[in-house]
Amino acid sequence: MKTLATMISAAMLLLAGVSQPRAQQATEIYIPIGESPGLSTGRTDIGRIQAYDPGTRTLTIAARETLRPVRITDDTRIWLDRSGANLSNRDGDTSDLASGRRVEVSYVDPAKRQLASWVKVEAGN
Amino acid sequence: MENLRSLLALCAFLPLLFACETTREPPDPQQQLVERGRDIFFNETFEGNGRTCGTCHREENNFTIDPAFIATLPDDDPLFVAETNPDLMKNFENPRLMREFGLIIENLDGFGDLDNTFVQRGVPHVLGMRVSIDSPAGPRTGWSGDGAPGDGSLRAFATGAVIQHFTLTLERVAGVDFRLPTPDELDALEAFQLSLGRQNELSLPLPLKGTVAIRGQEIFLDNNLGKCNICHQNAGANASLGGQSLGNANFDTGVEDQVDRPATLTGEKVPVDDGFGIPGDGTFNTPSLVEAADTGPFFHDNSIETIEGAVAFYNSDAFDASPSGRFLAGLDPNGISIQLEATQVVEVAAFLRVINALENIRESTALLEHAAKREFSGRDKAKRSIRRAVEEIDDGIRVLTGGGLSPQAVAALREARRFSKKAARSWFSRKSLADQAIEALVRARDALVESS
Repeated sequence: MKTLATMISAAMLLLAGVSQPRAQQATEIYIPIGESPGLSTGRTDIGRIQAYDPGTRTLTIAARETLRPVRITDDTRIWLDRSGANLSNRDGDTSDLASGRRVEVSYVDPAKRQLASWVKVEAGN
Repeated sequence: MENLRSLLALCAFLPLLFACETTREPPDPQQQLVERGRDIFFNETFEGNGRTCGTCHREENNFTIDPAFIATLPDDDPLFVAETNPDLMKNFENPRLMREFGLIIENLDGFGDLDNTFVQRGVPHVLGMRVSIDSPAGPRTGWSGDGAPGDGSLRAFATGAVIQHFTLTLERVAGVDFRLPTPDELDALEAFQLSLGRQNELSLPLPLKGTVAIRGQEIFLDNNLGKCNICHQNAGANASLGGQSLGNANFDTGVEDQVDRPATLTGEKVPVDDGFGIPGDGTFNTPSLVEAADTGPFFHDNSIETIEGAVAFYNSDAFDASPSGRFLAGLDPNGISIQLEATQVVEVAAFLRVINALENIRESTALLEHAAKREFSGRDKAKRSIRRAVEEIDDGIRVLTGGGLSPQAVAALREARRFSKKAARSWFSRKSLADQAIEALVRARDALVESS
């Protein structure tokens, strides 16, 4: 009986989709670098792009006085932050990950800081 | 002459009365934060199109809006900004669906294709969130549980709302079309929202009076018949199965698959709402039922007008064929998801009406007690509390009469309303009149539930 209850609970958990991420990314695009509520205060990294390697899909950023490699995946959203120029932010892609640009990286798992869930990159001139 | 003497006497006492105010204990910092949040919620436009949080979450209408309420608003109300601001006339709202069904446009799957990628949802109330948004995966906000950007918290929710609903243009440039809430403002808004409505779960079963409501509660709690309590523990927003709490969970119940959903009958563009995530998984968040009966229309698409209709939805083919319906059928020895007779639908609805009225009584009592404690100089706040209490009492009357329930409770509520109105007008008898209103509310409660 206990096993049945456990199985039902497991099925219910799957049905309820509790393992999925919860934050809404649609409006996130319009939030400038460093202003994402609850994230930009330490759960993201904000720095400058050191390099992007398309082969390994690794973005290296200089943040918190260290160089941090971050993996870009198919699920990583890249946004161009143009708010500094009073322009609307836009979807970007890996071609926007140019060295020297200011960037904010949010992680799939903020504790491990390996896979990027989204990247905001300051638009170039 | 007599009036003049009274006026002079009053003037002589006024400085003393205000002096009393200055000798009170220092205000509670948490209460100050809540008050600041209230002010932001109702007055702060964030330099946008003129809307505030309170534009859609109206205090006088249970922190939501519905077509009947919308019909009372003047045309220059900020709710109708899409009808007056040329920059927002396309792809910001659908005025017809807003006015006829209370639907608001959301771009939950992104802003890249505004002509085609949007959903239209009702405005959920923000009551009782202290006990209705936590889940093992974190807080669930909004109809699909993923309403907030940032860390997904209630605190972060306002940032997304400003971007979606407050913007001056569809460019949505922070610092140009709106300003984002500051961290302090987010703290205050969160504190205010968490202060609204009930702070504790019910503990069912309640010792109800009234044959129909009693039977409704039995069906609600019967996991082989109504099955309501599986996803709505204690008529709240949290699920539990096999003794394991799932918190405020998401489910696909097939609401989108109903035939003849009102908005779709208009011929207006109504894209499928795919619920949680991008792309969506078809699931929506579980709302609390305690506050349901006076906050319709029901479901994320406002597709059902009455609480009886909302209960009857779970008899529908749409629910039966949904993942949640199939799941319940899989647990049932006869393979039935939910199957209620028409009388049983009404009984469950009667139960929901009664617990809603009990919540109206609880809230209005608290508001009247608050008003009675206010000193003379706090008259404006006292009047505000009494006005809110009257609104709650009116809701209770409407909810009960709508189901033909407990004439004794309705009579007592009407008495409480009379005393409350008098208390709001009174200069010197506010406390005693508020106390009499509270006594009438006790009688109303006693007519619905056995005294403990």
